[in-house]
Amino acid sequence: MEKKSRTVKRRRSGVSYAKWGYIFIAPFFLAYFFFTLVPQFLTIYNSLFENYRVGLTQVGPNWVGLDNYVALFTPEADGLVRILKYSSNTAILWVLGAVPQFVIALLLAVIFTSYRLNIKGQGFFKTVIYMPNLIMAAAFSMLFYTLFSNVGPIQIMLENAGIVDHSFDFFSFRITVRGMIALMNFLMWFGNTTIVLMAGIMGIDQSLFESATIDGANTIQVFFRITMPLLMPIFVYCLITAMIGGIQMFDVPQVLTNGRGEPNEMTRTLVMYLNGYLRNKNYGMAGAISVIIFVITGILGGIVYKMLSAQYKEPKRHRDRGKGGNVQ
Amino acid sequence: MKKLIAIVLCVLMMVSAVACASKPAATESQTGTETKAAQGKVFNIYAWNEEFKGFFEKYYKVPEGVTVNWIINPSDGGVYQQKLDEALLNQATAADDDKVDMFLAEADYIGKYVNSDYTMGIDKIGYKNADTMYEYTIKAATDDKGVCKGVSFQCCPAAVIYRKSIAKDVLGTDVPAEVQAAIDTWDKFDAVAAKAKEKGYYMTASFAETFRTFSNNCTMPWVDANNNIQFDPMITAWIDQTDKYIQNGYTLTAGVWDQEKTNEMFKTGKTMCFFGPAWYYNFCMTNAMDPENGCVGDWSIVKGPQAYFWGGTWLLAATGSDNTEMLKDIFETFTINEEVCENLVKNENQYPNNTKIAEKFANDPTYGNTAILDGQNDIAVFAELAKDIKWENHTNYDQLLNEGLQNKLQEYFKGNVDKDTAMKNFYNYVKETYANLNVPQA
Repeated sequence: MEKKSRTVKRRRSGVSYAKWGYIFIAPFFLAYFFFTLVPQFLTIYNSLFENYRVGLTQVGPNWVGLDNYVALFTPEADGLVRILKYSSNTAILWVLGAVPQFVIALLLAVIFTSYRLNIKGQGFFKTVIYMPNLIMAAAFSMLFYTLFSNVGPIQIMLENAGIVDHSFDFFSFRITVRGMIALMNFLMWFGNTTIVLMAGIMGIDQSLFESATIDGANTIQVFFRITMPLLMPIFVYCLITAMIGGIQMFDVPQVLTNGRGEPNEMTRTLVMYLNGYLRNKNYGMAGAISVIIFVITGILGGIVYKMLSAQYKEPKRHRDRGKGGNVQ
Repeated sequence: MKKLIAIVLCVLMMVSAVACASKPAATESQTGTETKAAQGKVFNIYAWNEEFKGFFEKYYKVPEGVTVNWIINPSDGGVYQQKLDEALLNQATAADDDKVDMFLAEADYIGKYVNSDYTMGIDKIGYKNADTMYEYTIKAATDDKGVCKGVSFQCCPAAVIYRKSIAKDVLGTDVPAEVQAAIDTWDKFDAVAAKAKEKGYYMTASFAETFRTFSNNCTMPWVDANNNIQFDPMITAWIDQTDKYIQNGYTLTAGVWDQEKTNEMFKTGKTMCFFGPAWYYNFCMTNAMDPENGCVGDWSIVKGPQAYFWGGTWLLAATGSDNTEMLKDIFETFTINEEVCENLVKNENQYPNNTKIAEKFANDPTYGNTAILDGQNDIAVFAELAKDIKWENHTNYDQLLNEGLQNKLQEYFKGNVDKDTAMKNFYNYVKETYANLNVPQA
């Protein structure tokens, strides 16, 4: 008896399994350190140099301090600061796509998980709404370009129907081009969001919904008082990842407008701007833009996280306490 | 025991990670040791489209045991140049079989490569320029020190290619000499455009259709000695002309390569004139040659209001190539070999870089282009134009500046933005693309 307990004790003190945990997760952290963190600091460092190539001739790197940042924020003669214009383009494009994305995704997630509706053929619907995400964004964008170009089927149909004349061009209007980009982003991502949110809702204790219904809460009350507060961590996660994706929006508008961001650069996003500088390996300016994008992402992510999680922390803790009391 | 398993797993993981990383390196060194012979076994060619590849595969017999690799990247947006630059900058350290042996360059940026150490003089590979070559094609491939670095397999005098049926309707004649008389100055060309408009036709199908007639006749380069962007009066003239054409509805707002424009070459097209050299047939006019909806034989060619040339593909010898004999062979095949040059004309609708062959076809009463024209001797028209081509005022920046100017002004011509904004967008594009250039303070 005594012997046995001693061996157990010795084993516990002799082998720390925690160590193996660290070793197993080490590859990720090493990869992260070398391939993400180091390049990140290098980007910041590089943004302080004049460093580009003209044809086959390398210029720099020459230390210029914050000159690249100053250049980015120096207004043109008419007061236009291009990086601000591209930032607002990016924001508008993202919001236009994200609002319907989250509204529809929430709606679908609630419908699919509702124990009262108990929808049949969920697997089928889930697959179908996820489908657009499987297409490469560039291909999807190319498809839209082909559909809406001024020799494309939609233009021809509208012309034949007498709705527009030949001079009409979908790519001449801010609203149509932005609309297309938003629509594509929405189509590509609402399925993904729906599935993540569904997982979140299914993780909520079903008895809460049942008891709320018994207490006389209607569907809307259940949604705002029970589903949303308990879904909030997942929702915030979705929102922040979608936002980071939105700030980095590139392939859809790039391919749709052939990199031009027409009309009048109204659909040119920050990363398209960044790409413009990479044409001549202008690492200085491109680095400065990257750093700005990083800062924007950090700030916005922080704000969203603070706002949404702070708002729902209090009631959640409150209710937990109440619930605990009942059980006791 | 568990400890042992854990260690084994860990080691396995590390080994697999390292193995993945080191694989390419291993193969590289292998191929490096294989080729210490005088001539390499792999011939790498960089190009931006399949045009030359087609001719190469048809008319050049690759020596036995040599593999030809084509590395093709699109020219649009400077992608081809970026990829090529990357490869050339790595040329010194690359394994022999990975080195660029030959690459293609266009008139708009050939200077950049010719005036660098990444190309080698063709005398080094034992090739001597034939006196049958057009002077300007040699000048374009010659660096500041007078060393020629490559050859062109084509000569690119450009002309006006018009729809006969539309010319008949508009001018009452489709005879080349009479059509030429009607459009031999820009003023006359404008007058015909107005007539065509009245009859419901377009004079040209793209806002940039006439761009090259102006830009290739500039009196000063795009960029001056102090890296300042300068607008040649010719470019300004093009903008003014296009402005007028768009406002009067003489042309479309499509770009030169756009489908909207090439659709105008179908039988149903309403456009009278297209501007281009011999390569234009195969490259831009496939719609016109469509067996069902095309209109082969409804085309003739005339000099037009202004002589000019457009494009051209040069073959440049890359420094460090281990296939010098093959390089020489290829250069000779496409410039000196008379049979190949003849075939280029007869089978491929090209205009060869060989004055002897060109003259032969120009003076041959039995020769006529039936692939697209009505049997007219187009070589005779081109030969006349080819004599006057001069190579001057070119810069390394031409491709992206021409492309950018057209893209930004297209928005103005479409009515999306005013002219000032379009110009400002262009200047911003220039700054982004070439940080070393100075733009006028807008």
